[in-house]
Amino acid sequence: MQTTSFIKRFSARTVLTATAFTASLLFTNLSNAAAPLKVGYSDWPGWVAWQVAIDKGWFKEAGVDVQFEWFDYVASMDAFAAGKIDGVTVTNGDALVTGSGGAKNVMILLTDYSNGNDMIVAKQGIKSLKDLKGKKIGLETGFVEHLLLLNGLEKIGMKESDVTIVNTKTNETPQALASGDLSAIGAWQPNSGEAMSRVPGAKPIYTSADEPGLIYDVLTVSPTSLSSRKADWKKVIKVWDKVVMYINDPKTQPDAVKIMAARVGIKPEAYLPLLKGTKLLSLEEGKKVFVKAPGFKSLYGSSKISDDFNVKYGVYKKPMDIQKAIDPSLLAK
Amino acid sequence: MSLESWFAVRRELSPRRQKLLGLGSFLLPLLIWCVVSYVPFVWHPMVLVNKPGDVDYFQVDMLVDKASFKEESANMQAAGKVIPEGKPANPIYLPAPHEVAKALYTGFTTAPEQRDGKWLHESLWHSIQVIFWGFFISSLIGVPIGILCGTYSAVSRLNEPFIEFFRYLPAPAFGALAVAILGIYDGPKIAIIVIGTLFQQILIIANTTRKLDYSLLEAALTLGTSKFKLMMHVIIPGILPELYRDQRILLGWAWTYLIVAELIGTSSGITWFITQQARYQHFDNVYAAIIIIGVIGLGGDLILAWLGKHLFPWDRPANKE
Repeated sequence: MQTTSFIKRFSARTVLTATAFTASLLFTNLSNAAAPLKVGYSDWPGWVAWQVAIDKGWFKEAGVDVQFEWFDYVASMDAFAAGKIDGVTVTNGDALVTGSGGAKNVMILLTDYSNGNDMIVAKQGIKSLKDLKGKKIGLETGFVEHLLLLNGLEKIGMKESDVTIVNTKTNETPQALASGDLSAIGAWQPNSGEAMSRVPGAKPIYTSADEPGLIYDVLTVSPTSLSSRKADWKKVIKVWDKVVMYINDPKTQPDAVKIMAARVGIKPEAYLPLLKGTKLLSLEEGKKVFVKAPGFKSLYGSSKISDDFNVKYGVYKKPMDIQKAIDPSLLAK
Repeated sequence: MSLESWFAVRRELSPRRQKLLGLGSFLLPLLIWCVVSYVPFVWHPMVLVNKPGDVDYFQVDMLVDKASFKEESANMQAAGKVIPEGKPANPIYLPAPHEVAKALYTGFTTAPEQRDGKWLHESLWHSIQVIFWGFFISSLIGVPIGILCGTYSAVSRLNEPFIEFFRYLPAPAFGALAVAILGIYDGPKIAIIVIGTLFQQILIIANTTRKLDYSLLEAALTLGTSKFKLMMHVIIPGILPELYRDQRILLGWAWTYLIVAELIGTSSGITWFITQQARYQHFDNVYAAIIIIGVIGLGGDLILAWLGKHLFPWDRPANKE
């Protein structure tokens, strides 16, 4: 008798402890106050820039526990979509694509806009987009280079059907252009630069510098993480301002470039040109772009254009709610 | 030293000749590589510019294809301007042996540029660990199931049709799923190696088990052994040397999945080194890394072969190798 009651009591207590334990686990999972924020970043100058803050220990100084994980670009989006990281650095167009797949995200910070790093590189003898009529162009369909090309064609009254697009992996565009079947490729740095050095006489005929704001690069985060850790994200954003100052200040730039070049495994002098085609945005500059307006001057307008492009080319079916995908409130002082 | 003595049908050569041919097996590809790299008229479809002359877009150390170099030279000559100079070269994608050798050396001797970056040997060690765990987990599941499939028809009929189907599915396609379940670090990478190896492993080991001489089993059953004892004392010891050989082949198989596996989740290991260097077109480093993988793979296999000889002294075919 006694034993049974003991067992009962024992089991009751076990159940209680177990429940409490599980509840505490669940609770920490939901609030997650102790876990570091996880951000995926990849090989683009505007995102490699974060390395400066990481190496200098500025996040600790700011009192925020954040862990940056280095990925291949597409793998970083996969990890975010799988809910394994809280934030990821992507282009505004890709942020929408990620969101359309169910991994809702909110853009809270502009890191930069592409200012020449994204290019349509054509072989010698082709002087402008007009000369591409009826020719083959290698680029990754549905990606930003595709958008860049169409944007350029539109300006001179040409249509997509006037050229032949060959779906080519961005990483392989230098080899593809060198192999001789293509008249031009669309790629971002470092691939676009490599393509030019591989194919003598190849020149950019249209770049993101011709349409600033066509491609914005952002830090986008999961809505759950944003609502529960808003203060922490605010601190992360504050650090970004410091990073931009450090990279843009001629006195500290060499050190910054050294850190960034080390991250991607090339020499600092080789990295400098890549930085030139990226316009890093301080928080002040970013704020001006976070204003609702049509056209490329605004993140809203630019995202709307990306959204239309994505729907038109079947990247996803239904237009996204851009208002929900952008949150300018963290930039407010 | 007649030709006849070299080509005797199904006869083993003398140890000295064996060694000679083994060495030749490596020297021959190296020789071809050297010829293509160092003898200008064999391939060399490009020209390395050392004096750009008056061609506006030529730069020193630029690689130009032969046709456009000729064309520009003719243009300059016609215009009475300075003619560019250059020497024949191979495309950037095929570095010369000495460049790769140098990259191999510097790869191991240069400290990582990045703060808390990884040395090359640390990246390699990471990759070896991923392979080891992938292969270990796969074997933990695959070897017992394989043996059971080979022993009992019921197990085989239930498992093998699906496994036959599944082994055709591309392991990398499960990458995103693996990340969703196992996170972004080594978990999904190991999972891809397991998916890539396990299904082949079960089928191969089931086959090996079926090939065990039935008279051995008959003798044991006649002597009234239990099923468990039959498994432990006849089947497993009977297939052990063969199983060991299968595992060696399968380990090589697992290595081929490494590059695919390491592209999933965070960038890490030797694959990160290879892809990053390829992106910036440092092909000498890329080939150096590929050669390292080959050396580690082959080296490991040779060690295992030597171990096998000592583990199974009764197994004659293994000792013949």
